[in-house]
Amino acid sequence: MEVLRPRGTADEEEPKERRARRGQIPPVYLTIALLIVVTVLFYLGNQNFLSLYNINTILSFSAILLMVALGQMCTIIVGGIDLSVGGLVSFISVIFILLIKPLGYLAYPLSLAAGALVGWTNGNILTRIKIPSFIVTLATGGILTSLAYIASPRPVNLSPALYGVVDLVNGTLFTVSNVLFMGLAVLLVFWAILRFTKTGRNIFYVGSNIKMSWMSGIDIAKTRNIAFMLSGLGAAMTAIMISSIRYGGDPVVGNAYVLNSIAAVVVGGTALTGGTGGVVNTIFGAIFMSMLDNGMNVIGIDQYFQQAILGVMVIVSVTLTFDREKTPIVK
Amino acid sequence: MTTVTARSGGLTPLRERLPGSIVSAATWFWRGGVAAQVLTLAIVIGIFAVGTGGKYLSWSNIQVILSLAAIPAIFAIGLHPTIVPGGIDLSVQGVASLVAVFVGLLLKNQYNAHDVGFWIIPLCMLIGAVAGAVNGLLNTALRIPSFIASLGMGWILYGLAVYMGKAVNVPLLDTRIGKFTSATLWGVPLIAIAVVVFTSIVQVIEDRTRLGRYMYAIGGDEVIAKQAGVNVGMTKVALFTVAGAVYGLASVLLTCRLGIATSRMGLTLLFPTVTAVAVGGVALTGGIGGAKNAALGALIVTALNDGLILMHVSPYIQQAVNGVVLIGAVALTIDRKKLGFIK
Amino acid sequence: MNVSNGAEEDVILALRGITKIFPGVVALDRVELAIRRNEVVGLVGENGAGKSVLMKILIGLLQPDEGRVLLEGIPITLRDPSDAIRHGIGMVFQEGSLVPNLSVTENLFLCHENGFSRLGFFSLRSMREAARELLGELGLQVDVSEPVAEIGPSARQMVEIARLLWLSRLYGRDNPVLILDEPTTVLADKERETLFRILRELKKRASVVFISHRIQEVVENSDRIYVLKDGKNVTEMGAADARIVRIEQLMVGHSFSADRFHEDEQRTERGREILRIEDLGRTGIFEPLSFTVREGEIVSLIGLVGSGKEEICRCIAGLERADTGSISLDGRKLPTGSPDVAVRAGIGHIPIDRRSEGLALMMSVADNVNLLVLDRLKRAGLLSPAQERKNAQHWVSECQIKTPSISTMCANLSGGNQQKTVMSKWLSSQVRLLILDHPTRGIDVGAKDEIYKLLRRLAQQGIGMVIMCDTLEEDIGLSDRMLVLKDGRLVREVDTPPQKKPSPQSIISLIV
Repeated sequence: MEVLRPRGTADEEEPKERRARRGQIPPVYLTIALLIVVTVLFYLGNQNFLSLYNINTILSFSAILLMVALGQMCTIIVGGIDLSVGGLVSFISVIFILLIKPLGYLAYPLSLAAGALVGWTNGNILTRIKIPSFIVTLATGGILTSLAYIASPRPVNLSPALYGVVDLVNGTLFTVSNVLFMGLAVLLVFWAILRFTKTGRNIFYVGSNIKMSWMSGIDIAKTRNIAFMLSGLGAAMTAIMISSIRYGGDPVVGNAYVLNSIAAVVVGGTALTGGTGGVVNTIFGAIFMSMLDNGMNVIGIDQYFQQAILGVMVIVSVTLTFDREKTPIVK
Repeated sequence: MTTVTARSGGLTPLRERLPGSIVSAATWFWRGGVAAQVLTLAIVIGIFAVGTGGKYLSWSNIQVILSLAAIPAIFAIGLHPTIVPGGIDLSVQGVASLVAVFVGLLLKNQYNAHDVGFWIIPLCMLIGAVAGAVNGLLNTALRIPSFIASLGMGWILYGLAVYMGKAVNVPLLDTRIGKFTSATLWGVPLIAIAVVVFTSIVQVIEDRTRLGRYMYAIGGDEVIAKQAGVNVGMTKVALFTVAGAVYGLASVLLTCRLGIATSRMGLTLLFPTVTAVAVGGVALTGGIGGAKNAALGALIVTALNDGLILMHVSPYIQQAVNGVVLIGAVALTIDRKKLGFIK
Repeated sequence: MNVSNGAEEDVILALRGITKIFPGVVALDRVELAIRRNEVVGLVGENGAGKSVLMKILIGLLQPDEGRVLLEGIPITLRDPSDAIRHGIGMVFQEGSLVPNLSVTENLFLCHENGFSRLGFFSLRSMREAARELLGELGLQVDVSEPVAEIGPSARQMVEIARLLWLSRLYGRDNPVLILDEPTTVLADKERETLFRILRELKKRASVVFISHRIQEVVENSDRIYVLKDGKNVTEMGAADARIVRIEQLMVGHSFSADRFHEDEQRTERGREILRIEDLGRTGIFEPLSFTVREGEIVSLIGLVGSGKEEICRCIAGLERADTGSISLDGRKLPTGSPDVAVRAGIGHIPIDRRSEGLALMMSVADNVNLLVLDRLKRAGLLSPAQERKNAQHWVSECQIKTPSISTMCANLSGGNQQKTVMSKWLSSQVRLLILDHPTRGIDVGAKDEIYKLLRRLAQQGIGMVIMCDTLEEDIGLSDRMLVLKDGRLVREVDTPPQKKPSPQSIISLIV
């Protein structure tokens, strides 16, 4: 005799109406609609919003945010979250600059490697000690912030003699800033990994149904480690971009990126419950975030108020995309 | 006969690789009652007493520890009723900052003359309570997981605080409450005594009222509790509201003790509060741990950090130590049966 | 269906004409049940006979589509379990429904502490005293401040019974109806005796519905017995007249069309040995057993819940570690407890709950079908969309999965097609052995037929199968051999060749 608990089992067929309602409007269309609405609103507020210069600014910020957001997206798809990106961006932004003096161009790959290592560590603590990702990354984020301060308690500037090293980022090609190309490149790499590699696909399987993935023999630990590693890489890339543009590193620079990366992913339509989403969602999310930030400045909304608005957007997006079938009990 | 070997990348947590007896003893010891915490405190005191050549045990240092631990203890007491039912509240930063701004607006300072005096305390508790209620409603009515709902609320409130307070630091001129936080009674910091009383009251409420018992029931098994007739939704909202109110109280006291109302006050609060609660033995998975655990946890964390300062450890390394402690405490208190696969 | 002897006035709770229909299946068909004061009513039936649905209706978890529930002759509507308790109807679940971290006292009085509280604070001392008294009535001595997780299943049952009794008293119900769902499964022999003694005591002031698969227990401890089959009443008899054999025979025996399980397609020649189980055991769960499965063979594990068959299958699939013995596939020994080892060796597992264990619901049919074979669908080291499409389309047509396209989300398919998708996933990876855990559960008749045909084809192709079915008929009809399990031990092997199948009646006595 089966156990009589009000939990769903496969005993009863799912009613046809419920089946049909699912997945009717891909959330990304909502994001695009929102984008258009917001663009119009901002343009009405200040015509300069759509000036060529401003568009360039928006796209540049989008590209930078996109990198860390793509990494964040991977951890969210696999079913977790990465709250350490803020600390990681701060940390890498500082050590990138510090590494240029002794090691020149080697600073690039080393910083990326550091990011990947941190991500991999997050993944390991998560699976080996079995602690929820939001606690692990909360803790490591704090540790990284303090490491950033240890490395340099004050903003560290790049000496002008070494400016050449970061021209890689600051240069332009056909008047388009290199930053945009790099953003595009990172986008394509992430897209390729998620779409065309087995591990990338496994990230979706694990996020969608971890029990089934385990029963089918998928290596859950490795999949998670890679997802978090990608997040570390994304954060590292963003840090490199920021430090290059500012010609200096700063241990506080990463703070906003926790909220901004999560918002970009979530507002773009990726569900926090995992298993769905993609780079298309995140790119629109990043552009939207960047537009919101820029637009609010352009029409003069207080910068501090923006954070509140972002908080609202995150909550609304999560409500709309949350897969309640997966978690009947919401804790 | 060839054999197929298992891939080594499986889910063998560290816990299972240690001798079973050690791990289960550690877990049993840590969860629930306060025996483990008291022992830990003794160990911490012992280590630092030796490490500082006895300076740690001086009466003035003990006073410092008690005095410093009081307000974090209140924050921890505020956080724990959201964790015991199985959720979490990450909005403390927002509430604290918002309250600080209100204190700056309503207590006499160099920018304005009016002063609501001691009424500021219930007022700020009210602000916190409203914020908490919103968290609770987001969680129960809109079915948003508490960690995102409260995280989002934290950002919203912080943004609101900074918007209202404009990043200006306002030195307070009405120092009555501030004086209270530094006063001593027969050498013992008054605020520490007050916190002990507060903890006891909350503990009694948890043990002997319906709200308290429902909190534990939901944490033990939400489905069963609901079936037994517990109004899970209302209870959760009530608990979040209480949490917010207690944050409000702690924030007022903190602002007055600092003597300056600054909208950035909340920024560094989340981490130590969560650590205090975890170290105190409140399990993240819910169902275990009470006010005394939260308060003791704050005491242990404060004692730890005080010792590190006395031994001239860099503040940034302290932060790292706290991070490791958090992970360790959570690892020991979590009930893995409840979590299945960790997200 | 009439209530035999005894006056109508004595009936305290009656279910009349209860019908409940789920999409695709009639769970209950005009079922009648009457419970008199101070009596123990036994309820027996196979899995799927409708017992659980009937009880869910009785305690308010489900609403009947037709029919009425009458309490002392008056029709009532039970909206939820709390409602049922207020009417004096309560149930002790098999798994127990106590909050594990709360104490005995707290669990007893949960949500009804008003009588003990003053100004909102309750007096723990008076609660504890009352708890001790209540439990004393049932003869239970236990530390009432201990968390219920620590007191043992027998004591927990007592606590649940005590709570129900107390609540009925609170609501002024003089003859509550207590439903005990498989209470003896978790108890040791001595504890069972205690439970039966308590039943005799309980009868003096309550009525009990006693559900158990152990027919002997039911006959010995009930006053009357109802037998359900396929959602219908089969019979109602006084315990004095009951014969265990007769009851068993009434429980099974469906009239299916002769060729329902496609016996004519049943493969008769055997291939090589694929699976060899030697002395496989898990302490406390199932005792060491040995058997083999050959190419093209369908071996069915039959037994009641608790017989160990589910656990054996999980062990073979690598989901649980074995304490003794070995599993060998094609002559190679496999370490147990590791699903990826089993999967790579060629063992597939169709889980009982396809939604939570079988599929990534929010992903497409193609993604689910290709999950195990992504390594083979590559070109130049990267996944090739063209090959993925090809593989998915092949299996969709091979298994006749009805889907608008291969990119449809699995959540949008019907149960039968979802199940076929799960099977395609494994078949795509060229499994040698498939373990099927109730493969046709929750699937409509048409889809069931397609799955039977599919299984026959797989047997022809040389795949070995270990299966557990929803009904004895299905087990007998589909399998070539049956392994009978009882209380964790393999007791018999029965051959079930086509055209010479044993009848369910002859088998049932082996398993109960």
